[in-house]
Amino acid sequence: METEERLKIGKLNFPDDLVYTKDHEWLRIEGDLARIGITDFAQDSLHEIVFCDIPEIGTSVERGDSLGTVESIKAVSDVYSPISGTVTRVNERLTEEPELLNNSPYEEGWIVLLKSTSMNEVNELLKVQTYAEMVEKIFSK
Amino acid sequence: MSLMKTHLHSFHEEHGKLVEFTGFEMPIWYKGVVPEHMAVRNSVGIFDVTHMGRSLFTGPDAGSLLDYLTTRVVSSLNLDQVHYSTICNESGGIKDDLTVYRISEDEFLMVYNASNRKTDYEWAVENSTGFDVQIQDVSDEIPMFAVQGPKAEETLQTLTTDDLGEIRRFRFGWTELARLKTLVARTGYTGEDGFEIMPWNVPLSKPSEAIRLWEEILDKGKPFEIKPCGLGARDTLRLEAGMCLYGADITEEISPFEARLDFVVQLEAGDFIGREALARQKKEGVEKVRIGLKMIERGIPRPGCLVMDDETEIGKVTSGTHSPILQRGIAIAYVPVEYFETGKTLSIRIRRKDLKAEIVDFPFFDIGEYGWRRKRD
Repeated sequence: METEERLKIGKLNFPDDLVYTKDHEWLRIEGDLARIGITDFAQDSLHEIVFCDIPEIGTSVERGDSLGTVESIKAVSDVYSPISGTVTRVNERLTEEPELLNNSPYEEGWIVLLKSTSMNEVNELLKVQTYAEMVEKIFSK
Repeated sequence: MSLMKTHLHSFHEEHGKLVEFTGFEMPIWYKGVVPEHMAVRNSVGIFDVTHMGRSLFTGPDAGSLLDYLTTRVVSSLNLDQVHYSTICNESGGIKDDLTVYRISEDEFLMVYNASNRKTDYEWAVENSTGFDVQIQDVSDEIPMFAVQGPKAEETLQTLTTDDLGEIRRFRFGWTELARLKTLVARTGYTGEDGFEIMPWNVPLSKPSEAIRLWEEILDKGKPFEIKPCGLGARDTLRLEAGMCLYGADITEEISPFEARLDFVVQLEAGDFIGREALARQKKEGVEKVRIGLKMIERGIPRPGCLVMDDETEIGKVTSGTHSPILQRGIAIAYVPVEYFETGKTLSIRIRRKDLKAEIVDFPFFDIGEYGWRRKRD
């Protein structure tokens, strides 16, 4: 049974069990790990994603560092780490199937699992309502 | 400043994702670059290319003026023949690349880049003193569509009883399509078989006739799953075919010899603008040349990326993309001529990483499998 709540703007979905960044990444807490990806808005804006450059396991990042890039035919976009930590797993499938980012941004299209060095940073990320309001503002421009 | 529009603007607005392109509001894609690209490689696609410039040259000196303006001999064109050529400046740099059609003994059509719509026309007029010729900018009177792909002929054939099979590559004919007198040329900018068509005399003020022709082609192409294609696929298709984009791969700072377009320069045939500089360059040789690079490592080269030989910076990417056919990054770049050797490994600096790439011949795809020379089944 689908119990998860989602905010919708047009055809775009924003699950409410995630926290977001103003740069359009999402983060889900899984124990002491954080799963990170790009939002439905980000994948929709990039349109057809044809390439994803993912970091190596063990890479340490500070909040705001680039975790890699996501590219469509026309555009390149950095994925910024929402929090500081060490990359413990990467979604290897994205190398061969970057379209997962378009088709399943919150599930199969996750990018990395990060072991956080300061979970406090999570509290500073955007709640779904705040993020959705921001996206709505972009659309109404 | 408001953007210019083509006859098809209402269609593009309804079905496409619009962007600004050299002053025009045009579709970058309708459904997506990749499906549109694949439609052209595997079946058929249609592009609105009305934003390009078109001028008619009429009069006893029309041929000799074009011989003087362009680097290739126009007066030797047969009636119903079209060729690819360049306009150069006095230093031999490319002002534009274009196609020239011989419509009759004394009438020629020049088709050139949208970005040079105004400058090419003005350049022709400025240089026409002493020539008995009328030059008319007909860009807004004659729409232009490209119907490209292995099923392009079958698609267009359903709209006319004239045998389009008789039109060979770089030839054109006249036929009636959707009750409009139309120039049909077997040319294109995709590397595939296909046509560029121009319904004669359909002014921008009366767009409905052009829309009717466009929609009829889409309708007749349904069995082949024809797709309207935007500028995104136009760019990836031409790049896979190794064709130059004006303003990126060729500019006023680059000569046809450097771009390896030697076949458009006919030095023997009399005077033209840039001839002296090009003759000197031919004798002395060029320092840098245009090459094709196919990524060995994963990454998408973009314009401006550095080309490296180990630690030495040797050139720059002028066009780069992800090739939907090869599923790899591909690029056009300029490097010193001593590095130009097919099969040689260089690298491209993509976002601070030097990734390996191999020098390959144009086109980038296998000509047995794709493109107008492919084996027919």
